[in-house]
Amino acid sequence: MKPVLRSVVLLLVLAVRAPVHAADPSGAEIVKRSLDAFYYAGSDMRARVTMKLINPQGQVRSRDMTMLRLNTGTSGDQRYYIYFHAPADVKGTAFLVWKYPAKEDDRWIYVPALKLVKRIAADDKRSSFVGSDFTYEDVSGRDLEDETHTLLRSEDLAGRPVYVVESKPKAAEYARRISWIDRERWLPLKEEYQDARGATMRVFTADKVEQADKHWTVTARTMKNLQSGHRTEVVFQEIAYDMGLRPDVFTERYLRDAPAQWVR
Amino acid sequence: MKRHSLVEWSIAHPRAVLWLVLLVTAAFMTQLPRMRTDTNPKNMLPPTSDVRVWNDAVDQTFALYEDMIVVGISHPRSVLNPATLARVRDITAAILGIGGVAARDVTSFTTIDNVTAEDGGLRVAPLLTKIPQTQAELAALRKTLMDSPLFIDRIVSRDERTTAIYVPLERGANGKEVADAIRAVVAGQSGEERYYVAGDPVARDTFGAEMFKLMGIFSPIAGMIMLAAIYFMFRNPALAGAMMLVSMVAIVWTMGLGIGLGFPIHIMSSMAPVFLMAIATDSIHIFNEFYFRYHERRDKRAAILDTMAAVSRPVRYTALATAAGFAVLLFMSIVPVRVFGGLIVFGTLALRLFSFTLIPAILTFLREDKLGSASAREDERPDPTAAALARLGGWGANAPVATVLGGLVLVAVAGLGMTRIVVNNNMVEWFRADSEVRIADRTINQALGGTSLGYLVVATGQPEAVKQPRTLRYIEGLQRHVETLPVVGKTLSVVDYVKRINRVLHDDDPKFDAVPDSAGTVAQYLFLFAMSAKPSDLDNVVDYPFQTANVWVQLKTWDAAAMKDVIEAAQAYQGDHPQQADIKPAGIAYFNLVWNNEVLWDMLKGFILALAVVFAILVANFRSVKWALVGYIPLLFTILLIYGVVGFAGKDFDMPISVLSCLALGMAVDFSIHFISRLKQRLAETGTDAASDPAALKEALVWTAARPGKGILRNALLFAAAFSVMLFAPLTPYMAVGAFIVAMMLLAALFTLLYLPALIVLLRGWLFKPGEKP
Repeated sequence: MKPVLRSVVLLLVLAVRAPVHAADPSGAEIVKRSLDAFYYAGSDMRARVTMKLINPQGQVRSRDMTMLRLNTGTSGDQRYYIYFHAPADVKGTAFLVWKYPAKEDDRWIYVPALKLVKRIAADDKRSSFVGSDFTYEDVSGRDLEDETHTLLRSEDLAGRPVYVVESKPKAAEYARRISWIDRERWLPLKEEYQDARGATMRVFTADKVEQADKHWTVTARTMKNLQSGHRTEVVFQEIAYDMGLRPDVFTERYLRDAPAQWVR
Repeated sequence: MKRHSLVEWSIAHPRAVLWLVLLVTAAFMTQLPRMRTDTNPKNMLPPTSDVRVWNDAVDQTFALYEDMIVVGISHPRSVLNPATLARVRDITAAILGIGGVAARDVTSFTTIDNVTAEDGGLRVAPLLTKIPQTQAELAALRKTLMDSPLFIDRIVSRDERTTAIYVPLERGANGKEVADAIRAVVAGQSGEERYYVAGDPVARDTFGAEMFKLMGIFSPIAGMIMLAAIYFMFRNPALAGAMMLVSMVAIVWTMGLGIGLGFPIHIMSSMAPVFLMAIATDSIHIFNEFYFRYHERRDKRAAILDTMAAVSRPVRYTALATAAGFAVLLFMSIVPVRVFGGLIVFGTLALRLFSFTLIPAILTFLREDKLGSASAREDERPDPTAAALARLGGWGANAPVATVLGGLVLVAVAGLGMTRIVVNNNMVEWFRADSEVRIADRTINQALGGTSLGYLVVATGQPEAVKQPRTLRYIEGLQRHVETLPVVGKTLSVVDYVKRINRVLHDDDPKFDAVPDSAGTVAQYLFLFAMSAKPSDLDNVVDYPFQTANVWVQLKTWDAAAMKDVIEAAQAYQGDHPQQADIKPAGIAYFNLVWNNEVLWDMLKGFILALAVVFAILVANFRSVKWALVGYIPLLFTILLIYGVVGFAGKDFDMPISVLSCLALGMAVDFSIHFISRLKQRLAETGTDAASDPAALKEALVWTAARPGKGILRNALLFAAAFSVMLFAPLTPYMAVGAFIVAMMLLAALFTLLYLPALIVLLRGWLFKPGEKP
């Protein structure tokens, strides 16, 4: 290629892959807005969630659950209540998480066979969420300060304008995370988790984004583990926001006895 | 006389022969740089073989890894101290960064999941998230480790002096490279700890690497020794060089052909050069005879033609017998065995072609003045070697009954030894007892559950059946039964997790260290466990539909026989507890068992077939079943005696030994063919009526023992000298090959020169018709 021609091509490429402008928000600002949109939308939320765990042979384990979320206070504290409808032999198992951004979560589980509530000590937010390819962090969000964020570029992803942000954790099982964040809706549309060798370990994709009660919501998502070949598909249905959930739903009493108003 | 004219043409146009050979050799040589190597014994069986397909399926179903390296860390008093634990943490972290390591499933103190009862709650977390510093914290860790069957004998020894890091490898990773990287990591550690790197991939890939190094070092050394020995025998550097040239050309042709056809060089075909060098020594009979003839005739051309006339028949038939011995390998089921057999057949045929072309051509180039002085000593009477051989042959001929009986007694004793032969294969024991690989393996096996891993796959055939308490108790019983075997160090199954969770949910009450009574409870336990633990924990022991469970069986030895014991124990258990569950073995230990058996029985089958084919060739050569039977005996006795010694010595009958059997056959038969052919020639030349004139027969036998016998002895010594280098090899199969060949050649020569005369004298009435002139 002639030098002149090469410069022209280079310019074209640069024009399409819009460089970072001074007017763009910083990486940290983008991630902050994304965390808010993805994990904190509304004051509370309810959804019927089906989760499919698919192994490399294509065999499937399904979980069917109701998820309730309540944002408490302004410091980022949240409460999650998860009730399992299926598989049939675990029906009635319920799970409660009190999430604190700055310290380890509190978790409790109700085991119906023993009629027993047990506190689960958790000191690893990066462990698998109910056997899926999502970690607890993936489900309930990470802290902005856990990583340092750099805006790499802006581009289009499947017809949506996105910011591409690189996040490097201070300590995690991944060395680098690249996020494609919707410039208008602020939802992450794709994330790649890379190891220290630069190989992609896991890929998150938002397969379907819909508006539910005025909040843009990722209603279908996939996390694929490229190393094990395992993947998890999650679909949200019956989504409702700002229903006025009371904090007492998120207590041991309702763990034993599901709140019929919300769990159907 | 077509063959004879080939010799005549060759001595008429020696330069043309040389150029032609050079040209073909150059053509084959162009293939050599394309050489690919394959050191993985797994490829002895094709990827489509039942055991590999099955093992792959099991690996996929249970998200398992084909290969695992075990890193043992031991401390003179206890590994449970802050400094050692910190080192384990750092080493684990470093191992996670090594290429080829399946980082997500590395198991060590800092990565293994631990389910504990804590403050009335439940804790599922890596065992060691922070290094305990106080005595109280260390005591708590000790209690956790010693209380849990998930840890004891697996990542900590009962005497708490040893811990282990289990490092699974990604498919296709090189075990030796990863092991070397791990060794580099631990080498950087200070402190009292000692480190051991073990496991099948380490042994396998280290062996592969060592093997090629050895072939690179050993083959030239063996070649040099043979060169020196030939020079010592004939005192003529040109001649010694000529013999080496012949074998080198044959090696280039053979390896060139194999590589050109696209076969990778694997363990077996890497031995082809040494085998060919050995087979090439057969041409020493031509040189041997040539020197005698030249001494008699003093005319080089006539001596060459006379020599070829005298030895062409035995040389043709020995080559044929050797080729046939290896050709049977072409009908075996294992591809690398077939390739090996095919290559040796090709090389042997090439060598035979050289005997009638290249060697006569080279002989024409020898300078007559040098030859005169050298061959002057080749006269049987003043030569002490020939005299000794004549005495040896005379002894057999004069005391035939004693000799034959002595031999029979020896064989009977050998037969007793053969009953003690144990068929086994143990790759780790292919290393010397003082080698790093073997010390590591021994140490870890003594302290922990074992470095060799097999699986017992319990298939119920029904989804969700594994959650049934009945099934779990069946599996638990299987574990306890298999654990009674001394070779089994540790078993692990889904039952261990269920029992653990049951106990922890009941505030660590040992009463609940049992399988609960309802399937629903089991389901909820497993669900709870899957909610917090690494996904692989559960995946490794139960399949997705909860239809099939996988029991891990850690073995304390790499003996192929150990897995056989496990399988037999499992079958016995299944027989005692008839239930709707099928138990099938899998894993690397199972593969080794199958592979070992297949190769071994293939070689054994080949050997028996070769015995038959070689007998047929002897019959064709001697045109007599009687002579073939007699000629067969030295060969048979040699092999029986050696196997007797193998039995008495307690040496396992393993793959290298079984490969050698074919070589033994191919080589030892040469001696018989040479001896009997030349004896019959001599009887014909001297017009002896052997049946009615025992004295003349004895004289002919003594002559044969002295003159062609010298060629036989030279051949045997040459062989033995070259292969004795192998006794100093660092890998035991090479030592075994060395010892085996040295013993075989000397024994075969002895039996031929001593036992054949005795047999022939004893059976002369049966072998010779009265008045017959052979």
